[in-house]
Amino acid sequence: MSKTLTVEGDLATVDARANITTQGSVTAPSLIVPSGVTKIDKIICSASAEGLADGSAVFFIRIGGSAVKRGEQNIVISAAARIAVQAGSDAAPQMCGLVVIENADIEVNSSDSLSIAAEMAGNDLGTGHIVVTLMFA
Amino acid sequence: MAKLYRSREGEATAVDTKSQLTTLGSEAAPGPLLVPTGVTKLTGIIIASIQNMAAATGFSSLVRLEGPGLPGGPEVFAAAAGGNAVATGGNGSMKAQFIDVDIDVTSANEILIFGEMCGTDVGQVSFGVTLIFE
Repeated sequence: MSKTLTVEGDLATVDARANITTQGSVTAPSLIVPSGVTKIDKIICSASAEGLADGSAVFFIRIGGSAVKRGEQNIVISAAARIAVQAGSDAAPQMCGLVVIENADIEVNSSDSLSIAAEMAGNDLGTGHIVVTLMFA
Repeated sequence: MAKLYRSREGEATAVDTKSQLTTLGSEAAPGPLLVPTGVTKLTGIIIASIQNMAAATGFSSLVRLEGPGLPGGPEVFAAAAGGNAVATGGNGSMKAQFIDVDIDVTSANEILIFGEMCGTDVGQVSFGVTLIFE
Protein backbone atom coordinates (compact mmCIF):
# COMPACT_ATOMS: atom_id res chain seq x y z
CA MET A 1 0.00 0.00 0.00
CA SER A 2 1.42 3.36 -0.99
CA LYS A 3 1.30 6.42 1.23
CA THR A 4 2.22 9.90 0.07
CA LEU A 5 3.74 12.94 1.72
CA THR A 6 3.81 16.14 -0.34
CA VAL A 7 5.37 19.47 0.55
CA GLU A 8 6.16 22.63 -1.40
CA GLY A 9 7.87 25.92 -0.78
CA ASP A 10 9.89 28.88 -1.98
CA LEU A 11 13.64 29.02 -2.49
CA ALA A 12 14.20 32.72 -1.93
CA THR A 13 17.98 32.77 -1.61
CA VAL A 14 20.65 31.09 -3.70
CA ASP A 15 22.97 28.59 -2.01
CA ALA A 16 20.83 28.53 1.11
CA ARG A 17 19.09 25.57 2.69
CA ALA A 18 15.30 26.08 2.78
CA ASN A 19 13.10 23.75 4.77
CA ILE A 20 10.10 22.74 2.68
CA THR A 21 7.23 22.46 5.12
CA THR A 22 3.96 23.64 3.59
CA GLN A 23 1.38 21.97 1.38
CA GLY A 24 -0.66 24.70 -0.26
CA SER A 25 -3.76 25.15 1.86
CA VAL A 26 -2.23 23.02 4.61
CA THR A 27 0.39 25.17 6.27
CA ALA A 28 1.88 22.53 8.53
CA PRO A 29 1.42 19.01 7.17
CA SER A 30 2.77 16.15 9.23
CA LEU A 31 6.33 15.15 8.39
CA ILE A 32 6.04 11.87 10.28
CA VAL A 33 6.72 8.69 8.31
CA PRO A 34 3.49 6.66 8.25
CA SER A 35 3.42 3.61 10.47
CA GLY A 36 4.07 0.26 8.85
CA VAL A 37 6.32 1.46 6.01
CA THR A 38 10.05 0.82 5.69
CA LYS A 39 11.28 2.93 2.79
CA ILE A 40 10.75 5.87 0.47
CA ASP A 41 9.90 3.99 -2.69
CA LYS A 42 9.34 6.84 -5.12
CA ILE A 43 10.16 10.55 -5.35
CA ILE A 44 8.12 12.90 -7.54
CA CYS A 45 9.46 16.43 -7.81
CA SER A 46 9.59 19.61 -9.86
CA ALA A 47 11.61 22.77 -9.26
CA SER A 48 12.26 25.96 -11.17
CA ALA A 49 12.62 29.71 -10.67
CA GLU A 50 10.71 32.80 -11.70
CA GLY A 51 13.56 33.86 -13.97
CA LEU A 52 13.89 37.47 -12.86
CA ALA A 53 17.68 37.52 -12.84
CA ASP A 54 20.37 36.35 -15.27
CA GLY A 55 22.38 33.20 -14.73
CA SER A 56 22.11 29.45 -14.40
CA ALA A 57 21.42 27.26 -11.40
CA VAL A 58 20.54 23.75 -10.36
CA PHE A 59 17.98 22.60 -7.82
CA PHE A 60 18.32 19.72 -5.39
CA ILE A 61 16.54 18.28 -2.39
CA ARG A 62 17.83 17.08 0.96
CA ILE A 63 15.88 14.26 2.60
CA GLY A 64 16.93 13.84 6.20
CA GLY A 65 15.74 13.88 9.75
CA SER A 66 15.75 11.17 12.37
CA ALA A 67 13.58 8.92 10.19
CA VAL A 68 16.24 8.42 7.52
CA LYS A 69 18.28 5.44 8.63
CA ARG A 70 21.54 6.17 6.83
CA GLY A 71 21.56 9.93 7.09
CA GLU A 72 20.64 12.76 4.77
CA GLN A 73 20.30 11.90 1.10
CA ASN A 74 20.70 14.70 -1.47
CA ILE A 75 19.24 14.41 -4.95
CA VAL A 76 19.49 16.70 -7.98
CA ILE A 77 16.11 17.61 -9.46
CA SER A 78 16.49 20.18 -12.24
CA ALA A 79 18.38 23.11 -13.73
CA ALA A 80 17.21 26.51 -14.95
CA ALA A 81 18.67 29.58 -16.63
CA ARG A 82 17.78 33.04 -17.88
CA ILE A 83 19.29 35.83 -19.97
CA ALA A 84 17.63 39.25 -20.14
CA VAL A 85 15.42 40.02 -23.11
CA GLN A 86 15.78 43.18 -25.18
CA ALA A 87 14.04 46.22 -23.79
CA GLY A 88 10.34 46.13 -24.56
CA SER A 89 10.21 42.37 -25.08
CA ASP A 90 8.52 39.75 -22.94
CA ALA A 91 10.34 36.75 -21.55
CA ALA A 92 9.13 33.19 -21.90
CA PRO A 93 7.95 31.42 -18.75
CA GLN A 94 10.01 28.92 -16.81
CA MET A 95 8.43 25.45 -16.96
CA CYS A 96 9.92 22.30 -15.49
CA GLY A 97 8.48 18.85 -16.04
CA LEU A 98 8.02 16.35 -13.23
CA VAL A 99 10.99 14.25 -12.24
CA VAL A 100 9.96 10.78 -11.08
CA ILE A 101 12.53 8.57 -9.38
CA GLU A 102 11.20 5.02 -9.28
CA ASN A 103 12.51 2.50 -6.75
CA ALA A 104 14.25 5.22 -4.74
CA ASP A 105 14.75 2.69 -1.95
CA ILE A 106 15.70 5.02 0.91
CA GLU A 107 15.36 3.25 4.26
CA VAL A 108 13.27 5.03 6.89
CA ASN A 109 11.98 4.40 10.39
CA SER A 110 8.21 4.48 10.55
CA SER A 111 6.56 6.91 12.96
CA ASP A 112 9.70 9.06 13.05
CA SER A 113 10.17 12.56 11.65
CA LEU A 114 11.51 13.64 8.28
CA SER A 115 13.22 16.86 7.29
CA ILE A 116 12.76 17.88 3.66
CA ALA A 117 14.85 20.79 2.43
CA ALA A 118 15.81 22.14 -0.97
CA GLU A 119 18.26 24.56 -2.51
CA MET A 120 18.83 26.64 -5.63
CA ALA A 121 22.58 26.44 -6.28
CA GLY A 122 24.71 28.54 -8.61
CA ASN A 123 23.33 31.91 -9.66
CA ASP A 124 20.31 33.62 -8.14
CA LEU A 125 17.53 33.43 -10.77
CA GLY A 126 14.94 35.13 -8.58
CA THR A 127 12.73 33.15 -6.24
CA GLY A 128 12.61 29.45 -6.95
CA HIS A 129 9.79 27.11 -6.05
CA ILE A 130 9.74 23.38 -5.49
CA VAL A 131 7.18 20.65 -4.91
CA VAL A 132 8.14 17.21 -3.63
CA THR A 133 6.11 14.04 -3.14
CA LEU A 134 7.57 11.11 -1.27
CA MET A 135 5.81 7.78 -1.70
CA PHE A 136 6.37 5.26 1.06
CA ALA A 137 6.15 1.50 0.88
CA MET B 1 20.54 -3.12 0.12
CA ALA B 2 19.04 0.34 0.34
CA LYS B 3 20.33 3.09 -1.93
CA LEU B 4 22.49 6.03 -0.92
CA TYR B 5 22.42 9.37 -2.74
CA ARG B 6 25.40 11.72 -2.92
CA SER B 7 25.39 14.97 -4.93
CA ARG B 8 27.62 17.78 -6.09
CA GLU B 9 26.98 20.83 -8.27
CA GLY B 10 28.93 23.61 -9.95
CA GLU B 11 29.63 25.50 -13.14
CA ALA B 12 31.86 25.25 -16.19
CA THR B 13 32.82 28.69 -17.45
CA ALA B 14 35.49 27.77 -20.01
CA VAL B 15 34.97 25.62 -23.08
CA ASP B 16 36.65 22.22 -23.40
CA THR B 17 37.97 22.45 -19.85
CA LYS B 18 37.44 20.10 -16.92
CA SER B 19 35.68 21.87 -14.04
CA GLN B 20 35.41 19.88 -10.84
CA LEU B 21 32.01 20.00 -9.15
CA THR B 22 32.90 20.48 -5.49
CA THR B 23 30.01 22.34 -3.86
CA LEU B 24 26.50 21.48 -2.73
CA GLY B 25 24.54 24.70 -2.53
CA SER B 26 24.90 26.06 0.99
CA GLU B 27 27.80 23.69 1.61
CA ALA B 28 30.73 25.48 -0.01
CA ALA B 29 33.18 22.76 1.01
CA PRO B 30 31.37 19.46 1.59
CA GLY B 31 34.68 17.63 1.20
CA PRO B 32 35.56 14.70 -1.02
CA LEU B 33 32.71 12.60 -2.35
CA LEU B 34 33.62 9.24 -0.84
CA VAL B 35 32.06 5.95 -1.84
CA PRO B 36 29.98 5.01 1.23
CA THR B 37 31.11 2.12 3.36
CA GLY B 38 29.57 -1.21 2.47
CA VAL B 39 28.52 -0.46 -1.10
CA THR B 40 30.01 -2.10 -4.18
CA LYS B 41 28.17 -0.55 -7.10
CA LEU B 42 27.24 2.75 -8.62
CA THR B 43 23.77 1.84 -9.86
CA GLY B 44 22.45 5.19 -11.03
CA ILE B 45 23.41 8.72 -11.91
CA ILE B 46 21.11 11.73 -12.03
CA ILE B 47 22.23 14.70 -14.12
CA ALA B 48 20.76 18.17 -14.63
CA SER B 49 22.62 20.62 -16.87
CA ILE B 50 21.79 23.94 -18.50
CA GLN B 51 23.52 26.89 -20.20
CA ASN B 52 23.19 30.52 -19.11
CA MET B 53 22.44 31.64 -22.69
CA ALA B 54 25.03 34.44 -22.57
CA ALA B 55 26.47 33.95 -26.07
CA ALA B 56 24.91 33.33 -29.48
CA THR B 57 26.32 29.91 -30.22
CA GLY B 58 25.76 26.21 -29.66
CA PHE B 59 27.20 23.84 -27.11
CA SER B 60 27.00 20.42 -25.55
CA SER B 61 27.96 19.31 -22.07
CA LEU B 62 29.19 16.16 -20.41
CA VAL B 63 29.90 14.80 -16.95
CA ARG B 64 33.15 13.01 -16.23
CA LEU B 65 33.68 10.67 -13.24
CA GLU B 66 37.23 9.91 -12.13
CA GLY B 67 39.19 8.90 -9.06
CA PRO B 68 40.27 5.93 -6.97
CA GLY B 69 36.67 5.06 -6.14
CA LEU B 70 36.28 3.79 -9.71
CA PRO B 71 38.52 0.70 -10.11
CA GLY B 72 37.53 0.36 -13.76
CA GLY B 73 38.71 3.86 -14.61
CA PRO B 74 36.91 7.04 -15.68
CA GLU B 75 33.38 7.14 -17.07
CA VAL B 76 31.87 9.96 -19.12
CA PHE B 77 28.17 10.76 -19.62
CA ALA B 78 26.40 13.07 -22.06
CA ALA B 79 24.59 15.79 -20.11
CA ALA B 80 22.92 18.37 -22.39
CA ALA B 81 23.12 20.28 -25.67
CA GLY B 82 21.61 23.50 -26.94
CA GLY B 83 22.21 26.89 -28.48
CA ASN B 84 21.07 30.48 -28.75
CA ALA B 85 20.26 32.44 -31.89
CA VAL B 86 20.78 35.65 -29.96
CA ALA B 87 22.19 36.42 -26.53
CA THR B 88 19.30 38.69 -25.62
CA GLY B 89 16.35 36.80 -24.28
CA GLY B 90 16.07 33.30 -23.00
CA ASN B 91 14.40 31.37 -20.21
CA GLY B 92 14.66 27.66 -19.71
CA SER B 93 14.26 24.80 -17.28
CA MET B 94 15.62 21.30 -17.70
CA LYS B 95 14.45 18.42 -15.54
CA ALA B 96 17.09 16.02 -14.32
CA GLN B 97 17.59 12.72 -16.12
CA PHE B 98 18.09 9.39 -14.37
CA ILE B 99 20.56 6.98 -15.96
CA ASP B 100 20.64 3.34 -14.86
CA VAL B 101 24.25 2.12 -14.63
CA ASP B 102 26.25 -0.81 -13.27
CA ILE B 103 29.72 0.43 -12.33
CA ASP B 104 32.01 -1.14 -9.74
CA VAL B 105 33.17 1.16 -6.97
CA THR B 106 35.67 0.90 -4.11
CA SER B 107 34.19 1.93 -0.79
CA ALA B 108 35.87 4.66 1.26
CA ASN B 109 37.61 5.97 -1.85
CA GLU B 110 36.94 9.24 -3.63
CA ILE B 111 35.02 9.85 -6.83
CA LEU B 112 35.77 13.17 -8.53
CA ILE B 113 32.96 14.68 -10.59
CA PHE B 114 33.73 17.08 -13.42
CA GLY B 115 31.46 19.03 -15.76
CA GLU B 116 32.56 20.21 -19.19
CA MET B 117 31.15 22.65 -21.71
CA CYS B 118 31.96 21.44 -25.25
CA GLY B 119 31.82 22.98 -28.71
CA THR B 120 31.90 26.76 -28.47
CA ASP B 121 31.80 28.97 -25.40
CA VAL B 122 28.17 29.67 -24.54
CA GLY B 123 29.07 31.56 -21.39
CA GLN B 124 28.42 29.20 -18.50
CA VAL B 125 26.98 25.73 -18.03
CA SER B 126 25.61 24.60 -14.67
CA PHE B 127 25.69 21.00 -13.55
CA GLY B 128 24.02 19.05 -10.79
CA VAL B 129 25.02 15.39 -10.40
CA THR B 130 23.72 12.74 -8.01
CA LEU B 131 25.48 9.40 -7.65
CA ILE B 132 23.37 6.48 -6.42
CA PHE B 133 25.22 3.71 -4.58
CA GLU B 134 24.08 0.24 -3.53
